[in-house]
Amino acid sequence: MRFSFFRGCFIPVRLPHIEKVAAMILPELGVELSPVEGFTCCPEPIGFTVNHPLTGLAVSARNIALAEEQGHDIITLCNGCTYTLKQANETLKADPELRGRVNEVLAGTGHQFRGTVEVRHFAQVLVDQIGLHKIEDKVERPLSGLRVASHTGCHILSPPEVMGFDDPQVPMKLDAMMEALGVTPLDYAYKTQCCGWTLSNYGDRNGAARLLGDKLTAMHAAGADSVNVICPQCLAQLDTGQMLAARALKLEFRLPTLFYLQYLALAMGYSLEEAGYDKHRVRDPGFEEKLGRILA
Amino acid sequence: MNIALGPLFFDRMVLNVPYTYRGLRGVREAAEICLKCGVCCAVPEYGCPAQYGPQFNPRYTYVYDCLGHDEPHRNPSIWQCVSCHKCEETCPYEVSPIHFIEAMKQLALEAGSTHESVAAELEQVVSTGYAFPLTANAERQRQELGLEPLKATEELRRIAEATGLLRLLGRLRK
Repeated sequence: MRFSFFRGCFIPVRLPHIEKVAAMILPELGVELSPVEGFTCCPEPIGFTVNHPLTGLAVSARNIALAEEQGHDIITLCNGCTYTLKQANETLKADPELRGRVNEVLAGTGHQFRGTVEVRHFAQVLVDQIGLHKIEDKVERPLSGLRVASHTGCHILSPPEVMGFDDPQVPMKLDAMMEALGVTPLDYAYKTQCCGWTLSNYGDRNGAARLLGDKLTAMHAAGADSVNVICPQCLAQLDTGQMLAARALKLEFRLPTLFYLQYLALAMGYSLEEAGYDKHRVRDPGFEEKLGRILA
Repeated sequence: MNIALGPLFFDRMVLNVPYTYRGLRGVREAAEICLKCGVCCAVPEYGCPAQYGPQFNPRYTYVYDCLGHDEPHRNPSIWQCVSCHKCEETCPYEVSPIHFIEAMKQLALEAGSTHESVAAELEQVVSTGYAFPLTANAERQRQELGLEPLKATEELRRIAEATGLLRLLGRLRK
């Protein structure tokens, strides 16, 4: 199964270790990644597209057109990229008038949107196309006994009729994906609440820290050893953001946060270092020791 | 039937995409339906994240603040919205405050009163193709991991010129 690999901006620039893990792990599950030379920012939804929708749509349409020229569906590593590209793709497929207007804008670039490919987040590919049984088959070292709080994130859930991933109010898929690795998934209050990254970066930084503090406290109260995310902004917020919030709010615990593909790498036999854990700001000896015992 | 609401609801039946993709038609009418029940901001566990702002409380919510402002596109509160759709999911009357707030952000750009971080990001994407600056630190990290270097592109400038965004950004710089 081959996809045009949409790395986005945030991962290649700020979290390149996640790009590395994705390129290392996904092909082992039969997900082949084709690089695309001209991909740009999706563009970022809140800072870009909502402010000038026609340019936002046209930039998305150009990205989708590059995948169409390659002949593959798009795979992303980011909730934001998926949100932007999927909405643009569905909107332009459904609205010929708008498609015509966007293609006029694109005329000078040599690309045209045709509407021949799909946009998918890697979690959608793993659950809906590869299948959890295939993931279970690849698990060499089940992460049995590890208690993990999963955070799905806002922009892959809503609007559900466009995103088509999971129930925005009762998301279950990440828990099922973690169970396939042997992990004990946890239910906790604030499970569907935003991570606060966008609020922190475009709005009220202190409000975002309090929100994150409430969320982390709920995860901790549920007995979490660590957190699981599938979006780079959520990862940055729950890692670097957690470090700052914990200091400001005097939190007495730390919850290491890993990207799903990092847990997958660990279960497939890679080391914590190979999974890029050393690049994270929040590391916890208790978590490392427990994981060491599980993997021994 | 209210004629102003016709196309709005028709759009929603087809596909729930932001009104802003189809112009600002119907956005104010939708905001006027709001009953101020406060459900969208009531429950911290799954309600509006911007409600965490210290100026908001259950009797004066973030959403009332945005919908009730005299000049909503000049209200600094609009920049707190993270487009998470929580308000839309919980609203019993399908007001979708998110779409109103997003439309006001669009108007703010046209009126020259957009947030400085938005102006900076629009410039950044149009001139490099990336939303985040390609720093020397990023290059070093990529090199250490054996990943290829990132290349900036100016191809989006042509798109921004055709849509009129470049003109708006030029006006903002002045």
